[in-house]
Amino acid sequence: MTLLPLDFQFSQGSLQDYVDCRRRFQLRYLDQLAWPAVEAEPLLEHEQRMRSGAEFHRLIQRYLLGVPEKRLSTMMDSLGPEGSDLKRWWGNFLQFANVTPGGNTLVEGVLSAQFGSFRLLAKYDLISWDMDEPDRRVTIYDWKTSRQRPNRDWLAERLQTKVYPYLLVQAGEQVTGLGKLSPEQIEMVYWFAEHPQEPQRFSYSDEQYQQDHDFLAGLVDEVGSLKEGDFHLTADESRCKFCTYRSLCDRGTAAGSIDQVESDLEVETEQDFDLDFDQIAEIEF
Amino acid sequence: MELTPPQLDLIEASNDQKIFLEGPAGAGKTTAGVERMLYLMAQGARADTILVFLPQRNLAQPYYQALRNPGLVAGGTVDVLTLGGLAQKMVQLFWPLVSEQAGFAHPDQAPTFLNLETAQYFMARVVEPMIEGGAFDTVTIDRNRLYSQVVDNLNKAAVVGFPHTELEQRLRGAWIGEISQAHLYADAQQAALRFREFCLEQNLLDFSLRVEVFLKHIWSVPVCRDYLSKTYNHLIYDNVEEDTPVSHDLMAEWLPQLESATLIYDWDGGYRIFLGADPASGYRLKDHCQEEVTFNHSFVTTPEIQEFTAGLEISFNLAEDRLDSPFVSPSQPIVEDPASKPAVGDVRSVLEFETHRFHPQMLDWVVERASYLVEDEGIPPEEIVILAPYMSDSLRYSLSERFDRSGIATQSHRPSRALKDEPAAQCLLTLAAVAHPEWGITPVSYELAYALVQAVDGLDLVRGQLLAEIVYRSKDGRPTLTSFDRINPDMQERITYQLGERYENLRLWLDSYSLNPVDELDHFLSRLFGEVLSQPGYGFHHSRDAGQVTANLIDSARRFRWILAESLTDGSGKDYVQLVQQGVVAAQYIRRWNEPSEGAVFLAPAYTFLMGNRPVEVQFWLDVGGQGWAERLYQPLTQPYVLSRHWPPGTPWTDSEEFASSQEALYRLSTGLIRRCRYKIYLGLSDLGEGGYEMKGPFLRAIQRVLQNYPADAPGTQVETH
Repeated sequence: MTLLPLDFQFSQGSLQDYVDCRRRFQLRYLDQLAWPAVEAEPLLEHEQRMRSGAEFHRLIQRYLLGVPEKRLSTMMDSLGPEGSDLKRWWGNFLQFANVTPGGNTLVEGVLSAQFGSFRLLAKYDLISWDMDEPDRRVTIYDWKTSRQRPNRDWLAERLQTKVYPYLLVQAGEQVTGLGKLSPEQIEMVYWFAEHPQEPQRFSYSDEQYQQDHDFLAGLVDEVGSLKEGDFHLTADESRCKFCTYRSLCDRGTAAGSIDQVESDLEVETEQDFDLDFDQIAEIEF
Repeated sequence: MELTPPQLDLIEASNDQKIFLEGPAGAGKTTAGVERMLYLMAQGARADTILVFLPQRNLAQPYYQALRNPGLVAGGTVDVLTLGGLAQKMVQLFWPLVSEQAGFAHPDQAPTFLNLETAQYFMARVVEPMIEGGAFDTVTIDRNRLYSQVVDNLNKAAVVGFPHTELEQRLRGAWIGEISQAHLYADAQQAALRFREFCLEQNLLDFSLRVEVFLKHIWSVPVCRDYLSKTYNHLIYDNVEEDTPVSHDLMAEWLPQLESATLIYDWDGGYRIFLGADPASGYRLKDHCQEEVTFNHSFVTTPEIQEFTAGLEISFNLAEDRLDSPFVSPSQPIVEDPASKPAVGDVRSVLEFETHRFHPQMLDWVVERASYLVEDEGIPPEEIVILAPYMSDSLRYSLSERFDRSGIATQSHRPSRALKDEPAAQCLLTLAAVAHPEWGITPVSYELAYALVQAVDGLDLVRGQLLAEIVYRSKDGRPTLTSFDRINPDMQERITYQLGERYENLRLWLDSYSLNPVDELDHFLSRLFGEVLSQPGYGFHHSRDAGQVTANLIDSARRFRWILAESLTDGSGKDYVQLVQQGVVAAQYIRRWNEPSEGAVFLAPAYTFLMGNRPVEVQFWLDVGGQGWAERLYQPLTQPYVLSRHWPPGTPWTDSEEFASSQEALYRLSTGLIRRCRYKIYLGLSDLGEGGYEMKGPFLRAIQRVLQNYPADAPGTQVETH
């Protein structure tokens, strides 16, 4: 019997964790273990980059939802020195935005579809398509704010590059209104805020789609079949430097340097704020 | 579960229907709401055009559960939001368009969102100078409760929809007691005004300001409204009766633009009145729907249990015109599902009780009966809840310790448990003080001993105290730890060399850190956790709870630091630690609503259980004779009824209104509980309560009146023992 709950949802993040280290997958997604050790050093710089990255995503979202560019630029101008990255990225983005196709968009949208006995889910920064274009191309954009621009081979192997276009084929029909999407219609673009002129583009194809399907299905089957003792630690101990569970696995004490990180570490999503019983000090239960 | 024809009719209504569904708890309304959502998706509605709107996040569970079904239609995802969540989302997105007109002093700069703890912190900064100047001098409540009542007043103004400048006028106009109380209202008004001014000056948005900015500004900006109306075409709005008037106003305006809507309304609800819920306001949304549907067959309760509700209604002697009261949601007789329920019996077949002299005896009886149910009747532990009006730490401990001894797991939910009361947090904060001698915070010896016991795996309290007495010193208000190597060998042996070595590593780490300390307390905590306490040989290494508590503490400290930095307010790690110790921050940090764990009896305050909206087989009601079931919390600076939309400003709130509202609240609470019980209710009774007071409160008297209607030898009679 599988250890996965029946309503388990796979994402590129969880699959990437599984590929990187089965144990990390188990601790993070099955046990949901909070383990707040340092992820990368220097901690303050790492934190600042994570926050700036999240703010940059929100900025673009505002822009794409119709908040005037001029108003957003005024806000950028008012930032102090701590906002220098964000200002630079914004300037770079505006140049890029002038060359990206217009039309219909899904901004910060989530798609999901059945995958085997489970569900596959992904959050997209931007999906863009134009109903009037003859070939009805659909482009997935992903904004990256990492200092380094990862090489193409490394990106090609990332689960994100496989999951995002694959899931769009599966679930894009309802959202785009373009009918059943074929892989050939889809392109995935990684745009790097620090390297605005050098986006990495991945065209999708039937062949790639089939390969991704087989790979992902194999992976999900494998995860589903594992027993309690099968979640082994990764053999590549360099990964443990950027894993907060390192102390639990006896794999070191200190975190690795942010300079060695190939791309963005995952940004946490903020929780909804809500007023409920938990937040009323007066209810002294 | 098989759906009934009325449920199917509602679920499969056409995609352009606006339906108002009402009925008692347990009639399958939420099930129909969930299935309606799935049906809309199956019929081709884009999932991301469906909004599930709820008064409180934890009510979303059945919807989330359905949305995680692997076989769900492929596509986008349904948004599940509360007013607070929607306001936060919209303010975040459209801040640049409204920041100036909403009156913020720095409209070009980003907003800072306050949670309850940071709102309370800033409220303290505003109120403390007022207190020093003599304000609030006649009130004798804890400072944190004082701050939170002012915050609560602002929230009430926002969710009821009146200007926060009218708080004093409304509260004072209803007050008929001593004049000193009226001064307090003036002070509370001043505090609210100053806090709001401070927030506008610093770009801070507490809950009240978020809601006001959303409703007064964002909702009227075309690009924002377009965004909402283009995003959502279908609405499922569940537990309308538990939501606030401004939510109802919003929906009343929004409904005509939506393609379809299903509004779900519980009779006899309104448990969140003290959070601004307004059942009568919600009921007017019925007029905005074309279809009106009533489900009044209970799938949960037996006729006997229903009879208990009917008996209580008579017993409470509720006024005949109570349904005209704006604080009461409508109610009609409930029809039980005749197919699944026995037709004979009386109330006593579903009520079991035993009176004891002392409180601990009552707890013993509760645990003994619950154990019997689990072991002999095969009722799963998660189908048993133990409820009290308030779940104090001591009550929680007394119960869980007794259940432990019986070999039955428990899960408790006490929302306002302070983070500082968690042993892992105490350990971290004590070690933080030791690592930062410049703070001048000197833990006492037993605090250090306790911290070491938590930190060092295998160290018991006796050896921990021994170690602390030897190695811990405070000189000129600066705490220091000395080396294990300097202890005499006999003592080293007694403590053991292995534990000594662990202590020594911890001490060296703290020493090394203090040579180069950082300003960010959360960074210190994260390093201490990752590099020492969670390593092999230390107390947090295999402790899931310690990991969770540390994560919460770090999260709280980090948010605090960020907010202070964004508002250009001075504050350090030392300030944070002191605020935690005073209970100002991290006081209600456990945010997650614990889902009931399989195999564990659930211990919770009665209202918390109700808002979980989950029927169970068996309920135990503790301290039924206590006043806590009927009394409103003492809140000298606020009043939920007077600040509601229905109370005419200037009308006195008299004892008779107080009595009627408390009777009504008690009736609503008890019927809410009864309707979420399938099999049996056990009443825990003791002559003397936990604090030694006599227990003959109105709830007990009302139940006794119900039972007096049955002959003594009727079936189901239980033996009373003393």
